Amino acid sequence: MRERELALPALPQVAAPRVGLVKPSRVFRLARQAASALWSQKGKAFLMMLGTAVGIMLLTAVVGLSAGVEKRINEIMNTFGPTSMMLRAGGGQMMGMGGRASSGSTLKLDDVAAIRTRLADKAVVAAVIMGDDTPIKAGDQNGQTDVMACDPNFPQAFDWYVASGDPIDEDDERSMARVCVLGSTVAKNLFPDQDPVGQRLLVNKVQFTVKGVLASRGTNTMGFDMDDRLWIPLSTGMRRVFHVDSVRTIRINVRQAKDVTPVNDELTALMRERHRIHPGEDDDFTIRTPDFIAQRIRGMSRTTELVGGALAAVALIVGGVVLMNILLLTVSERVPEIGLKRALGAARRDIFAEFLAESVLVSLMGMAFGVLLGLVPVLVIPKLFPMMPMAVTWKTFAYAALFSSVVGLFFGVQPARRAAKLDPVEALR
Amino acid sequence: MIELRGLEKTYHTGGVDTPVLHGIDLTIEEGEFVALMGPSGTGKSTLMNILGCLDRATGGSYTLAGQDLTSLDDNQLSAIRNRRLGFVFQLFHLLPRVSVLQNVLLPFLYTDPYPSDAKERAVGLLRTVGLEDRMHFKPNALSGGQQQRVAIARALVNEPALLMADEPTGNLDSVASKEIMDIFDRIHAQGRTIIMVTHEPDIAAHASRVITLKDGRVASDVKRD
Repeated sequence: MRERELALPALPQVAAPRVGLVKPSRVFRLARQAASALWSQKGKAFLMMLGTAVGIMLLTAVVGLSAGVEKRINEIMNTFGPTSMMLRAGGGQMMGMGGRASSGSTLKLDDVAAIRTRLADKAVVAAVIMGDDTPIKAGDQNGQTDVMACDPNFPQAFDWYVASGDPIDEDDERSMARVCVLGSTVAKNLFPDQDPVGQRLLVNKVQFTVKGVLASRGTNTMGFDMDDRLWIPLSTGMRRVFHVDSVRTIRINVRQAKDVTPVNDELTALMRERHRIHPGEDDDFTIRTPDFIAQRIRGMSRTTELVGGALAAVALIVGGVVLMNILLLTVSERVPEIGLKRALGAARRDIFAEFLAESVLVSLMGMAFGVLLGLVPVLVIPKLFPMMPMAVTWKTFAYAALFSSVVGLFFGVQPARRAAKLDPVEALR
Repeated sequence: MIELRGLEKTYHTGGVDTPVLHGIDLTIEEGEFVALMGPSGTGKSTLMNILGCLDRATGGSYTLAGQDLTSLDDNQLSAIRNRRLGFVFQLFHLLPRVSVLQNVLLPFLYTDPYPSDAKERAVGLLRTVGLEDRMHFKPNALSGGQQQRVAIARALVNEPALLMADEPTGNLDSVASKEIMDIFDRIHAQGRTIIMVTHEPDIAAHASRVITLKDGRVASDVKRD
């Protein structure tokens, strides 16, 4: 060993003028150097990453909400169907998806007939009246359920067919028959031990006979049990149960998704004409298309997303400025170190890279903490409040990585430049 | 090894020209141990900074090991410092947050490609200066003399053509100074070229050649055997 290190200096051939960027292997060494510098002043490093962490945390939550909303919309689209439209009585903007508080009794049976005639070759049209929480009774089993009075073509309109027994047919509709088709939950509740088909039950004290049981649809995305329903003929519902002469909703199921928009326009024109609504006056009806529903749901979360996004941006900028100032401070504290490294062969760009690496590393640490903290609400809130959609997607991580890197690079440039510009002779003094 | 021809350095501050070096001609052969002396303000430090590629001359030429360094840019001068030069400072200039071994390895941070035997070289040099058993210590756990020995190991780890020392014993007591100068003697005996700035004649006595500067010029140049 002694022989070796005491040998005459072999004069190494100094490489040709090195231009261009710092080599990758050296970048790795400089990054490790930066990490060791940060580790030696953990307190400062913590303050440097704090703003980024808060910003990325908010960003993660906002992206989680936004992704959850899109996921929810997708689920609803799958249930509602991309070809489904709803025409409801009453105009204006109603909050929420339920729309059970529909106003007006302006949708008459001749409106339904006119729409059906107009759209005969494009869509299935079914009118619906809904009676929420209507009392039902069979033997000694009591309960409440939503009663749906609907045209006999509802299986086509809703793409929902009986699993056992028979569907409600045109004869039932014509004769105002007191027959019903049960959702599977109702069937289970009222007739736990027997085949419901052919059994009798009371709906609002009117006696009905069960014709069939629908296939199960489970709960929808909002948590409602779609099978907790009972279907009766429309005419029976209007005259014998609800005593009304108007319908609440008209379901229009177009045959091709591309027809949704033209049918929407056609329906609007037709209804305005039929209801004699003058230009400039508001509709007395509302048409819901899949797009409309998607927009409505997005609208509900938009404010939260905007506020959260703005807060995230503020946190990232404030955090970046704090990071920059602390790093500027450490540059002035580490002047002798910079001078030493220059003497040992660091070029200006090496010093620049080292300090920029500190800034980026600290931002990436902030990102890691921010994502971890931000994932807590994203994962916990939907468990506590099923109505609040939140989801984790690749976007969560992509945005976090993007924005924290931008903060690190942008706010690290000035301190890194100041460090690189130091005159080695002055710095060593 | 080193050739200076008409080397000049003039500082421009606030529109005023302050000449510090007035045309220095100097040839230093390989294996010489040069002590650079002279009163304060005679340009010793300026000359050392130019020889150390930390500063640039404003006139004349500087050739090191056959390579003209006069017109190199920052990246090129940095490579020269990294490959050809070793520095020992009066204030040691060790990096306090990393171990003794990591301090010795510091120059390789800027060496491409990274030498595969870097660690062996560093450990070997620490053994030579008698600090192998301290290589995992932090510098502030060491005495001044020990710290300077670490700095010498660091200055030699890249096997420099030229070792530059700026008052290496200026901050040490006489016992530690003697230890350090013993090491310099050994380095000199192995044929490495050394240039050392010092104010102290008994330190300069270790050198094989004493150059005295006065008012930015070589006032005397004495070789010894």
